[in-house]
Amino acid sequence: MTADDTVGSLREAAKMTGQLALWTVAWVATLALARFGPAHLWDFKVTASWVAVAANLAVGVGWIVAHARYIRKIDELQRKIMQDALAVTLGVGWVGGLAYVATDAADLIANEVSIGTFAASLAVVYMVAIVVGHFRYR
Amino acid sequence: MRNRLKELRTERSWTQADLAQRVGVSRQTINAIEKGKFDPSLPLAFRLARLFESKIEEVFFAD
Repeated sequence: MTADDTVGSLREAAKMTGQLALWTVAWVATLALARFGPAHLWDFKVTASWVAVAANLAVGVGWIVAHARYIRKIDELQRKIMQDALAVTLGVGWVGGLAYVATDAADLIANEVSIGTFAASLAVVYMVAIVVGHFRYR
Repeated sequence: MRNRLKELRTERSWTQADLAQRVGVSRQTINAIEKGKFDPSLPLAFRLARLFESKIEEVFFAD
């Protein structure tokens, strides 16, 4: 690998980070539109709601592809930290989600937990796992 | 896996950041490899060995 290759790969990684950030913003924006648009923008018109959901799904696919490309491009230690964090998040989501289903089916939970709370909890778990990973390899 | 990365780097008066830049990884990666906390991929191990004009087994050793 030459110095030019190295600088090129660092530039490419920075570009991929920017692209992932843009895809993330676009996905959040289309999700907000699909979630709040029916009540606040188009008075629950079915066609408009379907278009918003389809746009959110399409941008979501783009976000997933951008994320996969990002993981392939980043530095290998960063990739390991991110993959470990994704594994922890998947495990917590799987175990926690199914435990919730079991407790809900057994009528042990007084209040319903929204899917939004579940998604936000996973985001917190992911961020904590990333921070722990950085500390581990400090 | 043990390695001679720190020894080879300091012989050349390079900082961790210098070495990281030369092989296209982050300084944190070099630090983690030197401390034995992280084993590099085979391509990175080859890049490091080539940079130090050594064979890979002269830079990295099994525990």
